[in-house]
Amino acid sequence: MKTHFVLLALSASIGIGGASYGADQGTESMTEAQKAALRKTIDTCATCHGVNGKSVAPTFPNLAAQTAPYLEAQLHAFKDQSRGDPDAQAYMWGMASQLSDPMISALATYYAGQAAPEGKPGDPALIAQGKKLFEEGVPARQIPPCASCHGKNGGGQVVFPRLAGQHAPYLLKQILVIQSALRNAPVMHGIVKDLSKEQMQAVVAYLESI
Amino acid sequence: MFFRTRMIQTGFLALAIYVSAIAPSHAVPSYARQTGMACAACHTVFPELTPFGREFKLNGYVLDNMKQVTGIDTSANQTLALNSIPPLSLMLQVSYTRTNKALPDSAVSGALAKNGDLLFPQQASFFYAGKIAEGLGAFLQLTYDGAGDHFGFDNTDVRYAHHLSFGGVSGNDHSLVLGVTLNNNPTVQDPWNTTPAWGFPYAASSTAPGPITSARIDSGAGGFGQSVGGLGVYAWLDDHFYAEITEYTSAITGGAHPLDSTQANVVHAVAPYWRLAYEQRWDRHSLEVGAYGLIARDHPGNGEPLSGPTDRYRDAAVDAQYQFIGEDHLFTALATYIDERQTLDASVQDGLAANVDNNLKTLKLAGEYYYKRKIGGSIGYFNIRGSSDPLLYAAAAVTGSANFSPDTDGYILEVNYLPWLNTKLQLQYTGYTKFNGGKTNYDGSGRAASDNNTTYLLVWVNF
Repeated sequence: MKTHFVLLALSASIGIGGASYGADQGTESMTEAQKAALRKTIDTCATCHGVNGKSVAPTFPNLAAQTAPYLEAQLHAFKDQSRGDPDAQAYMWGMASQLSDPMISALATYYAGQAAPEGKPGDPALIAQGKKLFEEGVPARQIPPCASCHGKNGGGQVVFPRLAGQHAPYLLKQILVIQSALRNAPVMHGIVKDLSKEQMQAVVAYLESI
Repeated sequence: MFFRTRMIQTGFLALAIYVSAIAPSHAVPSYARQTGMACAACHTVFPELTPFGREFKLNGYVLDNMKQVTGIDTSANQTLALNSIPPLSLMLQVSYTRTNKALPDSAVSGALAKNGDLLFPQQASFFYAGKIAEGLGAFLQLTYDGAGDHFGFDNTDVRYAHHLSFGGVSGNDHSLVLGVTLNNNPTVQDPWNTTPAWGFPYAASSTAPGPITSARIDSGAGGFGQSVGGLGVYAWLDDHFYAEITEYTSAITGGAHPLDSTQANVVHAVAPYWRLAYEQRWDRHSLEVGAYGLIARDHPGNGEPLSGPTDRYRDAAVDAQYQFIGEDHLFTALATYIDERQTLDASVQDGLAANVDNNLKTLKLAGEYYYKRKIGGSIGYFNIRGSSDPLLYAAAAVTGSANFSPDTDGYILEVNYLPWLNTKLQLQYTGYTKFNGGKTNYDGSGRAASDNNTTYLLVWVNF
């Protein structure tokens, strides 16, 4: 769990950025010092987000197979403190504060390349209700289908995060903090502002299951 | 800072000192400053640790998100990594204690002391708690004790940890933390809240009467306290398995040095401490089961030379901890059972104990609930059973036992309110159903166990 943010700062100064890190961690172009810095940072992240980005506690989201642009955007938002929901403040403002831009890119690429978490079974009726909401939205209340941005199977695309296989309590909390504007996400706020708690629970149950 | 039972047969000054030796545990804002993370990351409610808090501790208190003062040598090896702001904290405890029946006056026979004791402070502590260098961190506490009116070294744990990842498909599916700890109180290095140094209750009166003895490894009258120094190694595998061995020896502050016959309870050679634990985490839950123990051989001292026969203490304990950490609701259950076998060759020879073989069994149970880390309650149960010994547990007003028994049991009820994460307001009630072997006239001077029931109010701030 050692952070070694000094090494991260060093890694920034010696230019980790711009390398392409694939699912195999793609560290071929990195120096040994850069690899060590990335490795240590990933070890630190693993304390909460689990080995290879699959977390145990639902307080902490799975990062495995998350889209790299979304991860990068969030890490920057933690670092500049523009994402201000309670857990972001409690955990990630500190954790991201000393990350260099190249290290943020390297982390995002690493986690994007990890195998996706498997879905967990849940209440079939609730999941079916959530699937319908995810795929069709609520036209009568002008709530668009979630799938239109987050992908047909919830796999995410570009800055729209992967939701499939994510912990339901985490997703529910995010919808709530976006709804209450504690987490600044104007587009999503507009979409979820009229969602009922029951609708939220249904859609997160579905997403956790796939 | 610790005192053995047989040293305190009489006298309320001694009583006040020995109960003040039951130092409560602390959480430190300097860790929050260093990590940039709120208290809630590492604590459910201070000082109880979350799984993340346990990781932070086991990894050497070094997780830092601060600007560093750094240095490298000509081979680019790092020679310095220092927080730009030192990890310092202060703690203040102000308390009020009232017992069911006033305690006897310490000087005037037949008179009573004032019942209702305000300590301002009960304790005031200064901490260095955080990173020292790469992999090296400390929890170092200096405490002013209000009842004892002295300033001294309190709980200290300096540790070095090295983290390794290995194995599996990706080459990093397993994690191993290897560490070295240098500390002054057995179990102060432990990451769970079942073991004595950080166990429930987390704060208690320093002036109310306490049981006549405790196991060597326990906090309390018979405990090692901060009178030893230990160097140990530990391993933490895959966030599941913990193993540790630490060797302790006497490190008594004050008095004669080198240690001689004027000191008390001096450890002969070294006392090995061992610890095994397994933790499973799932969803918002965590469950730990473990065992720990200590073997110590002491010279009683107290006027007797530090040679010849020794007293041997073999402590073996089991423990279990369950935590549920929800968004709104937090629940913890804690349990430990300590079995101590005493072989008191030296004390019998010196006329301090009647039996060569004694035993002492201690059970502690506690349950805690908090709503949004804001308001909560705790309930605890304790039970001490041991063999009677007319010399070890002699009759004495308040502190002694009329039937020479250490048997004590009772309960603790707590209500806690935290207006902020670093401020705790506590109301605690400790009730005794048996005290030092009896329910009524337990001390031979007419005092009942329930006379020692204690109401304790505490304001506890860390900043």
